[in-house]
Amino acid sequence: MKQREQEKTTDGANHGAVSSDQLLAFMQYLRGQKIAVSPADTLDAVAVAELLGYDNRSLLRNGLASTLAKSAHELAVFETAFDQYFQPTMRRPGAPTAANDDSASATEPSEAEGPMPASTPEQGNEDPLDGLRGNSLFDALENRDDSALSVAIETAAAEAKVDDISLFTQRGQYVRKILDALGDEALRDAAIELEQSEPAAFEAVQALREQLRERVRDRVERAYLIHAKAETEDLLDESLSKIKLGNVDHSQMARLKRLMDRMARKLAARHGRRRRRFRRGKLNVGETVRRAIPTDGVPFSPRWRKSERKRPQVMAICDVSGSVAAYARFLLMFLYALQDVLPRTRTFAFSAALGEVSDLFADLPVAEAIERVNLKYGGATDYGRALHEFSESALAEVNNATTIIILGDARNNQADPRLDLLAEMKARAKQLIWLNPESIRLWGTGDSEMLRVKRHCHLARECNNLKQLERIIDKLLSDRR
Amino acid sequence: MSTNHYPALHQVEAIQNAFEAAGYICTTRIATVIRLAAALEKPVLIEGPPGVGKTELAKTCATVVNRPLVRLQCYEGLDESKALYEWKYGKQLLYTQLLKEQLGDVLDGAKGLDESMARLHEFGDVFYSEAFLESRPLLKAMEADQGGVLLIDEIDKADFEFESLLLEVLSDYQVSIPELGTIRARSKPLVFLTSNDTRDLSDALKRRCLHLHIPFPSVELEAKIVASRVPELAQSMTKKLVQFVHAVRSLDLKKAPAISETVDWAKSLLLLHAKDLDSALVQDTLNVLLKYEDDIQIAQGQLSKLMVAAAES
Repeated sequence: MKQREQEKTTDGANHGAVSSDQLLAFMQYLRGQKIAVSPADTLDAVAVAELLGYDNRSLLRNGLASTLAKSAHELAVFETAFDQYFQPTMRRPGAPTAANDDSASATEPSEAEGPMPASTPEQGNEDPLDGLRGNSLFDALENRDDSALSVAIETAAAEAKVDDISLFTQRGQYVRKILDALGDEALRDAAIELEQSEPAAFEAVQALREQLRERVRDRVERAYLIHAKAETEDLLDESLSKIKLGNVDHSQMARLKRLMDRMARKLAARHGRRRRRFRRGKLNVGETVRRAIPTDGVPFSPRWRKSERKRPQVMAICDVSGSVAAYARFLLMFLYALQDVLPRTRTFAFSAALGEVSDLFADLPVAEAIERVNLKYGGATDYGRALHEFSESALAEVNNATTIIILGDARNNQADPRLDLLAEMKARAKQLIWLNPESIRLWGTGDSEMLRVKRHCHLARECNNLKQLERIIDKLLSDRR
Repeated sequence: MSTNHYPALHQVEAIQNAFEAAGYICTTRIATVIRLAAALEKPVLIEGPPGVGKTELAKTCATVVNRPLVRLQCYEGLDESKALYEWKYGKQLLYTQLLKEQLGDVLDGAKGLDESMARLHEFGDVFYSEAFLESRPLLKAMEADQGGVLLIDEIDKADFEFESLLLEVLSDYQVSIPELGTIRARSKPLVFLTSNDTRDLSDALKRRCLHLHIPFPSVELEAKIVASRVPELAQSMTKKLVQFVHAVRSLDLKKAPAISETVDWAKSLLLLHAKDLDSALVQDTLNVLLKYEDDIQIAQGQLSKLMVAAAES
């Protein structure tokens, strides 16, 4: 085994070099697919490839998967990416199937069985194409030496800096650049010369040039997909996270949901681990001495101090009346995406009446649950009544580990907002946060009670896009008052 | 590269054959990862739904390389004193008591405090030596002479802090004990970590591992596994049974039946001397396959459809 691998790296040096370059490019591609590939991963991947050799595709695929794909989801992405990336160059119809046949086909021209016109000219010594033989590009094309062609194209592509491509319209320009770098010009000149005298040979050369052009086009297309598309995606995500949630239209929902899940995962990763924190290492003298009584005062089993941090509990109270419903929906979605970190989240919805909806969310998909909630509790908003009902049903369970988040525009149709209840909630809870989807400039205008409400909250924030929501949840999770 | 420790793991096909001989049918992917783990000396992080044979893989590996298996079961609150090492406090205290009398002899004739201290220092850190060190699984695996297989089971159940503790062990195969210094592995063990994916593991830990995701197997593979585990069962029966299980997995269940359940089911059918898979038999034995009452009801509701899927050839 060892020996075989050794051979592979020495005799197939040329071929190996392509593949390791391709490997590096592939990792760039993976990054574009949102798989985090660190430099250390790259080193690992190269080590794996060196060990397994570049010749066995499925073996390499399995091996690379183990270092580059770090979850089931990433594995799926990796597998499609690998197939997409390595398929076109490694297996062309009519090309030698196993890459390790390359060395053989490079020395003796393959007796081609594919339908390629005039690829093996039979005119004997009088071959007009002889003039072109010796041109490495032409030879590679004629012999369909896949690996040599790949090398040439990769080199030319690097020279043309094709990886900088950012716009769809630049494709033609890059194809031209790569063809020039490849030395297509010589072929073109030869073709022009042959056009009059030898039409058959002219056809043959043109067919080969067309093949070359096709491959180069593929290469540029791939570069576009890899590099430009990822950039566009990032741009979209970025703008989506700043768009007002009320304005997100249906077609973007799926993307938004994905974005939200990603944010939630990030937050969960950042804060999940801090939940349980042991302070160990300090001797608990009292306990140790007590334990030492049966052994005549000799402390055989020392006891240590430890303290456990309480998990935060969140109670979310959401206005689901028309104007705010869309925002309530996002807050609830976000909270439920965070279930790992906030396992005991309870949610209440109100418009006129208030009711607990935690069960609905536990049992139903989020979108459906929201609809049910709207159906059940929709109506003209009455904050006073809602707060009263909350006090009746859940205030007893609010303690110094509870964070209450209220989402609403605080527009109470001129009714009494019952600020006394709010004050009581603030006193009992660890934190009372009011999120208002309205812009801060509108607070206090018209029937908005926001300015009065604000005084009774630990934190009152404008919150109408995903970025703001993320920031607030981050604060909520990190705060340990 | 010191692959010489585990000569059985040098070639993918050889690994597959050896594992099969030991009663574990593995795909090329699994075999490839094991080969890499042995050659690159990296731990393997195995993920996948419960019951697909994650733990079994490590156990089989220990059999194949013929080395001891050290197993560390993780749980919430697991800490270094249970995973790495602990000082034998009791022994230390007992010895201090016993040696109290000796103290007079040692200090006999010493003038002044300084001299007494100097004499005591000559004895070094008697009480913080290996004689008083209780090895826990991780340290034990480092101390094994011929290498071995270390299985860190259900790492996702342990606390986040514990993961950090593992980093040194996993990347450098060494354990630092403040009182003693660094203890290096005498011979690097093969390390397997399993995770049921109940939470995300830290990137630092992931980075140090080779990843192996074991999904539910294909029909053919599972039939092969059942055949190797329950060879007495008729081949046609095995096939039907596996196809039935695959159909069950496509239902919306709380807990889909895993390979271990399939094998259990096959065993119970064998015990019942079942000749053919008919619906009455399935009704009676469904509880072997499904562990929740709700799931059983769902499956019973769809029984005729499942039976059709099972009978497909």
